[in-house]
Amino acid sequence: MAKFTVDSELVRTLADLLTETGLTEVEITDGDKTVRVARHGHPVAASRSSTDTHVDTTGTVETGAMPAPTVDADHPGTLVSPMVGTAFLSLQPGADPFVRAGDRVNEGQTLLIIEAMKVMNPIAAVRSGVVRSILVEDGQPVEFGESLMVIE
Amino acid sequence: MFEKILIANRGEIALRIHRACREMGIQTVAVHSTADSDAMHVRLADESVCIGPPSPRESYLNIAAILSAASITGVDAIHPGVGFLSENAAFAEIVEEHGFTFIGPSQEHIRVMGDKVSAKQQAIALGIPVVPGSEGAITNDVEALRVAKEIGYPVLVKASAGGGGRGMKVAEDANHLSEALAMCRNEARVSFGDDRVYLEKFLAHPRHIEIQVLGDQHGNVVHFGERDCSLQRRHQKVLEEAPSPVLNSKARNSICKLVTDALRKIKYASCGTIEFLYENNEFYFIEMNTRLQVEHPVTEMITGIDLVREQLQVAAGAPLEFTQMDIEFTGHAIECRITAEHPETFAPSPGRITDYHAPGGLGVRVDSALYSGYQVPPYYDSLISKLIVFGTTRNEAIMRLHRSLDEYVIGGIETTIPLHQKLVRDPTFIDGSYDINWLESWLENGPAHG
Repeated sequence: MAKFTVDSELVRTLADLLTETGLTEVEITDGDKTVRVARHGHPVAASRSSTDTHVDTTGTVETGAMPAPTVDADHPGTLVSPMVGTAFLSLQPGADPFVRAGDRVNEGQTLLIIEAMKVMNPIAAVRSGVVRSILVEDGQPVEFGESLMVIE
Repeated sequence: MFEKILIANRGEIALRIHRACREMGIQTVAVHSTADSDAMHVRLADESVCIGPPSPRESYLNIAAILSAASITGVDAIHPGVGFLSENAAFAEIVEEHGFTFIGPSQEHIRVMGDKVSAKQQAIALGIPVVPGSEGAITNDVEALRVAKEIGYPVLVKASAGGGGRGMKVAEDANHLSEALAMCRNEARVSFGDDRVYLEKFLAHPRHIEIQVLGDQHGNVVHFGERDCSLQRRHQKVLEEAPSPVLNSKARNSICKLVTDALRKIKYASCGTIEFLYENNEFYFIEMNTRLQVEHPVTEMITGIDLVREQLQVAAGAPLEFTQMDIEFTGHAIECRITAEHPETFAPSPGRITDYHAPGGLGVRVDSALYSGYQVPPYYDSLISKLIVFGTTRNEAIMRLHRSLDEYVIGGIETTIPLHQKLVRDPTFIDGSYDINWLESWLENGPAHG
């Protein structure tokens, strides 16, 4: 992945903003760069160039940590696919997804289904945490080892 | 013709299949383990799907994963390559059940030829000569003596449950038969838990000669002549040549006609190879491989036919574009199997390839997936390259082999190139007078002897 310089001044300002306001997540976008700062148990701050322009704030409460530049998909909490197949995010088309970004999940809870050879294989969380991001779309083919979700 | 094919294999053979597909305008899907993510054929294929961790059982032998990958990429057919699932009848069956074409013969033919006992029985039924032996297991010494007298000494006492060259004892004459029986039974009981033994005529100095065949789904069967694969170490082929230095056209035509007539009778459709032991001008069937073989390039060089292309055509239902009369044999070809092993100790040598320079020039072909910087993984068999040369005569091919082996650079790991360099300068090799035991005694005694 391409590395680009992180504006540590900006990150510090945002971190202070979190402390002041009691928010747990702040994200700002400038052109094609987005910086999100969040307070969690692990150091995180995704600096990624994308066309996302939304500002994401959530109300969940967690303990804070200093952000560091990493890429979402390399995060230790990444759930990777144990098989080849098609990922489905809900039990059937049109139904509510199993989980959404921001949801708290428990160990053993079904996060998504991978269909292989007409057999639906539920993929469960290996430990409790919060869904940081969902990296696949409903109905997307996935290979062995492909990153599916980030849970912390 | 198929639009998209999944290659269920790895290494140089996967690259070979990809190349044939690419030349026919067929899209390729490369399935691979995590250890092969940077393999050449994965990089060149139109699509790739990682199907598992390095272990073959969880990747290249993982039928569910392969079928799942075939589903999500929407392929028409699956080519199983060599080894792995290529002779797995259950795999062939399940592939077809899921609506994909299995590029190979029918699962019934795979099943019959995959079992050595049923293959031998099938060969006998089709009039193909087999190694003379007892009908089944020998129950007592009296019966053994009778059978041995019939088939002629020396005889080989073989464990029914044995294999890979193990569980065999030679009896030179009637006086040594009881002892050989007892020893073989003991060893079989200890090694395989089954002390059933049977007898076969022992061939002291056979050559390994195999016939390449191709059948289509319309009842046509042709042969592409023989390959001599007598240079073996621990039952693994090291060097192959076509045609055999010892067969004359009469012997060749006779065995090839026998084989094609037999396969026509059973309506065999795809590539296949019938393997024989050849001694004192007699052929003895040992087995049939119902797939493409590693050494197929030497046959391609002397006939000008692309065997993988023909496999694809046949699998797609096309009739053969040629008859036996159209197939011409020109010149001589030799293939060296180059492995990632120490040339003397044969210790495995996986690792990163530093310098890589393949030989070239007239009549030189390299079938290899190596490249500079490639990491040879430790999880799979050690074959990393096939150097194939063609010459208008055997002598010309040998000189070309000297020259190209000397040019070939594979840096960073040990390879058997130095072994081949010595081998192709040996008088017995140059003479063509080797048999299947020669290479091992040459390796043991050192190139000066042999």
